[in-house]
Amino acid sequence: MRIQLFITCMIDSLFPQIGEAVFEVLSLAGVEIHFPTDQTCCGQPTYNAGYHDHANSLAKRTIETLTRSDDPVVIPSGSCAVMIRKEFSELFREDPPWHQRAQALAARTYELSEFLVDVLGHTEFQASFDGRIAYHPSCHLLRGLGVQTQPLDLLAQVERADVISLSPDCCGFGGVFAIDHAEISSELMTRKIDAVESSGADVVVGADVSCLMQIEGGLRRRGSSIRCAHIAQIIAMKEPGLQ
Amino acid sequence: MRRQFLKKVHEALANPTLQKALDQNAERRERGRERAFSTLPNPEHTSQEAAQIRRQTIDNLEEYLAQFIKRAQENGIQVHGPLDAHAAALSTAEIAKEHNARLIVKSKSMVSEEIELNQTLEAAGIQVVETDLGEFIVQLRGESPGHIITPAIHLLRKDVARTFTNELNVPYSTDVTEMTETARRVMRKDFLSADVGISGVNFGVAETGTLCIVTNEGNGRMVSTIPPIHIALMGIERLVPSLENMAVLLQVLPRSATGQNLTSYVSLIQRPRAGAEADGAEERHLILIDNGRLAMHHSQFQDALLCLRCGACLNACPVFREIGGHTYGSAYPGPIGSIVSPGLFGIKQYGHLSKASTLCGACTEVCPAGIDFTKLLLRTREEYVKSTPQPAWLRAGMQLFTWMMASKGRYHRVQSIATIFLRILPNRGGWLYRLPPPLSGWTRSRDFPPLAAEPFHARFHRLKSTGNGLSKVAEKVQETQTQENEPLQGDLIVRFQEELKRVNGEFIQCSSEELPHKIANFLASIEADQILGWGKQIQDFNSIADHLREAGIQILEAGIPRSEDGNTRYETLAGLDQAPAGLTTCLAGLADTGTVILPSGVGQSNLTSLLPRTHLVILQAKDIYPTFDHWIRAGGREAIASSSQLTLITGPSRTADVEMIITLGVHGPERLVVFTTN
Repeated sequence: MRIQLFITCMIDSLFPQIGEAVFEVLSLAGVEIHFPTDQTCCGQPTYNAGYHDHANSLAKRTIETLTRSDDPVVIPSGSCAVMIRKEFSELFREDPPWHQRAQALAARTYELSEFLVDVLGHTEFQASFDGRIAYHPSCHLLRGLGVQTQPLDLLAQVERADVISLSPDCCGFGGVFAIDHAEISSELMTRKIDAVESSGADVVVGADVSCLMQIEGGLRRRGSSIRCAHIAQIIAMKEPGLQ
Repeated sequence: MRRQFLKKVHEALANPTLQKALDQNAERRERGRERAFSTLPNPEHTSQEAAQIRRQTIDNLEEYLAQFIKRAQENGIQVHGPLDAHAAALSTAEIAKEHNARLIVKSKSMVSEEIELNQTLEAAGIQVVETDLGEFIVQLRGESPGHIITPAIHLLRKDVARTFTNELNVPYSTDVTEMTETARRVMRKDFLSADVGISGVNFGVAETGTLCIVTNEGNGRMVSTIPPIHIALMGIERLVPSLENMAVLLQVLPRSATGQNLTSYVSLIQRPRAGAEADGAEERHLILIDNGRLAMHHSQFQDALLCLRCGACLNACPVFREIGGHTYGSAYPGPIGSIVSPGLFGIKQYGHLSKASTLCGACTEVCPAGIDFTKLLLRTREEYVKSTPQPAWLRAGMQLFTWMMASKGRYHRVQSIATIFLRILPNRGGWLYRLPPPLSGWTRSRDFPPLAAEPFHARFHRLKSTGNGLSKVAEKVQETQTQENEPLQGDLIVRFQEELKRVNGEFIQCSSEELPHKIANFLASIEADQILGWGKQIQDFNSIADHLREAGIQILEAGIPRSEDGNTRYETLAGLDQAPAGLTTCLAGLADTGTVILPSGVGQSNLTSLLPRTHLVILQAKDIYPTFDHWIRAGGREAIASSSQLTLITGPSRTADVEMIITLGVHGPERLVVFTTN
């Protein structure tokens, strides 16, 4: 099977080694990976900030980039997957031709863990991890896409790992919200990293790098040695830590 | 407005009392909600059904509204409007003035906060007493409610104790039972002497014109039963097509709001007091409030009208939990307020609220009306950005970002320049801890990762895709729905008993022969020798009455003198208020909630089950139905239509308005004893 990898601008710019881990995991699962090189950003930051005109142009660009092939699109980020799968249709609700294209794209777009588990049925990667993994169910992944069990199914196959799930409370990231309402965002983050620290975790694992960036940024500021990792890093047995 | 909001956010976060109170609220309410839904046979199905009913109602809002107005008028209710805020408040004041009202007792109504009714009434020289305990407290403090369900959410009990000492001149006590007792005592006189009662409406039933009011303390019953004039305020979207539909919504509203399977009281008001009926308002007015709702109905924010005002989204919202209700600066705070306030009261003044959300979707998850909050918050943000000047940094940032991302070449070039620039900023272990404004908001509490020296797109060509493999499509398991069988009568009694006890009701089962002795013994144990009572639903009530008389217990028939007998009114009511117990029969019992259903009418005063400290009910086992819906279909419909004010009673009167501590007997009885006979 051949897929198109939409790596997301955050992984591209900030965390390329997560991209490499994603590539490795998909390769291990036996898929052929195509990387559409025109990709930039799906437009989510502008869309969530209310700048729908701006989002409109980035969304159209993304649809065009990913429609040159009919292959499924795999995205290692819950929130970007929500943007393409749900919000593009909402964005083009009064623009029938683009709405149709958005829906066609949505139908073959998957977040990474859901693609591995639901589409490929592949959870066994012979990975191992010595220590406790705290899984962070990120909001967009959990409530936006309804992806609840798939990441845990994957982590359950990681040998020697002691996996626990954090409560599904928001980490406080929220895009521009993190700056616009930095005070509230910080409070929510504090609750989350308190929960992380008291869980006895060695690593926080999730499938949304924006949340992980918020959580690791807070942990580092606090001087904690706990690091975050994208689920692909654990499966590909990479050193935890976003960078 | 935005600046004010940010200032209030800062204050709220720095207020430890508020933080503690908000944490308590979030944790308890969410637990309660989950527990209450878990008692439904099929919570998922009921939630979907409720959401569908709301959708159908709002899709056909104008038709249902017309039908509802027609039916309510046929029932003798005087309908005013739909009106806008100012007109609605003036119209209410006008009715009060026509009746020379000096004192108004009011039960909780958020729409009255929306139209700033109290200010208008007070300007007309009329005293308004808020009788919901939480509202009473905030009124004494000169504040507005901090939560649509729990008005005094922002206060701890020591704050309330201090307010009571200062305003009511009572000794300082932080005992919640004592505080509740004070409130009961202080407000009693107001209930008995008020000229007008004002309430909200939870549901208006289109097919029957019925007003449904859901309360816990009993104040809703007081204000709609005792004063000669009752004015009900209702937003036009609070409609429900049929009684059966209402039964479904009653399964989700209290569960979502307070974690109760059903509130202590559900009043179904059909019409004003008629002829020889024992009590009830002699005139009932309904003020319908539009105030932007019809316009909203024709806009892309229509779905905001689905709301039942349960407050579940407030309790689930992580942002509300940090900043509390007052910070929002609107009668409707939290996620729903962030849509409704800009939608009804102006995007320029309130649009910024839509940005105080992480779009985490916790609100959508708990909403019993099926509102997609994320969608509406995003639409509100779009309108806000279009209509209102935004901060320069945000405008410029968005423009720059979009310009950059619109071309792969530009994106990659800016990436490499920014990588170099960020390298000169101070870092710790590679992560940046001090960014320039506006990004300084990030680094106030978090480190920020540097840009990668080599982004992913530059690395990709080195990675090798093998592509040898498998693809197995996982099969999805079809969910099977289990069939429900009609329960046995014996099981119904057991369930009724369990549910009744869970809501602090008492259950005594006996044979018809034993019943008179059991009741007499019970009354003797509380030293009651003069009680209020009626019993039309069983044949041998007279023999019970005879037995009680022989045992030295006198039964009085309660009733309110009509308003033309103004002089004796208060004295009569105050006299009835002395009775320690009320004894009634009932129309039916509901097993799934432990509810008894009482009619009103000739010789069947509402006061009997409302004024005394203890309410005794006789329920025949054959009259127990599995659910409210079953009862409506088995003849309840006719009973609702023929009763001017029918009441569902589920446990004693209760409140949790002070620190969410449950206290019984606020305005209504503190003991509810159900005698069930086979």
